[in-house]
Amino acid sequence: MDYKYIEQLLDRYWECHTSEEEEQILRSFFAQKDVPAHLIQYAPLFAFAKEAKEEHVSADFDKRFAEILAEEEHSHETVRTQARTISFRKRIAPFLQAAAVVAVVLTIGGAAERAIGGAHQEEGTAAPVVANTYIRSERVAEVVTPAETKNEATAIAQSDSMSRVQVGVDVQITEN
Amino acid sequence: MKEISFRNDVLPLKDKLFRLALRITLNREDAEDIVQETLIRVWKECQEGKEIDNVEAFSLTICRNLSLDHNAKLEQRNVAFDEDVHDQPDTTRSPFEEMVDHERFQMLNALMNSLPEKQRTAMQLRDVEGRSYKEIAEVMQISESDVKVNIFRARKAMREKLQR
Repeated sequence: MDYKYIEQLLDRYWECHTSEEEEQILRSFFAQKDVPAHLIQYAPLFAFAKEAKEEHVSADFDKRFAEILAEEEHSHETVRTQARTISFRKRIAPFLQAAAVVAVVLTIGGAAERAIGGAHQEEGTAAPVVANTYIRSERVAEVVTPAETKNEATAIAQSDSMSRVQVGVDVQITEN
Repeated sequence: MKEISFRNDVLPLKDKLFRLALRITLNREDAEDIVQETLIRVWKECQEGKEIDNVEAFSLTICRNLSLDHNAKLEQRNVAFDEDVHDQPDTTRSPFEEMVDHERFQMLNALMNSLPEKQRTAMQLRDVEGRSYKEIAEVMQISESDVKVNIFRARKAMREKLQR
């Protein structure tokens, strides 16, 4: 019988050029009873590779591991419950911060408007109040309202903005 | 991204992980401890919903690193690791070891265990576990050509022993 194919595989095996499938072929070949004399010396190596795979954990491993896992699951659940309580408060925080920012902006805007709008008051023209409401820096609404008095302007800015506010409000008092 | 089921995808890896840990630590008890720790760590990652491309390679990597850490700690404690292997060999034979043709198997097993860790790990993952070079490179965190070099040397050592 011609063992050329096996011999070629073997040469490539030593060179680490064989694929996983080809190595499996070698293992199967050498597992046979009738391995030729000139190749028999290599049989133990391939038998070893096959037999080494029979090695496994001890009989009570599963039981011991199940206990350890149960302990871990229990302590993990405790930590998770604590995390859930904390994150609720953390989740509200950004909205409280946003509301605070809006209040400050409108207050300053109002003060600035009063300073600027003084001139318009005298001329009798209305200072348009442009209130742009931004959600994550994308402008979603623009309100342009002619205002008779500076107080009215402030009130309009506040009411319009407050109804739409999510994150940021940019109030600009434009001059004509 | 397929969701990893600990019970179905990870737990069945225990024997494969054990064989690797045993090959590196050369101690059955320590290897089992390492497998348990590996499984717990992978379990935690699953809990956190971590996306794992190849859970087998991931688990083998953790297992190997824990095994190497274990060996390093033994060395630090001034336990001469080599002495530990030869003077006090792990004489407890598993039922499996009783079954196979011990002489030849033990001879090759001992030879493989005497190789440098990289060589025996690479050969273990290839010849025993049948992993691809790419996967072995991932587990050992070395290049594929490094993997081949190590396997080349390991097979050469085994071959020379058989040819004597």
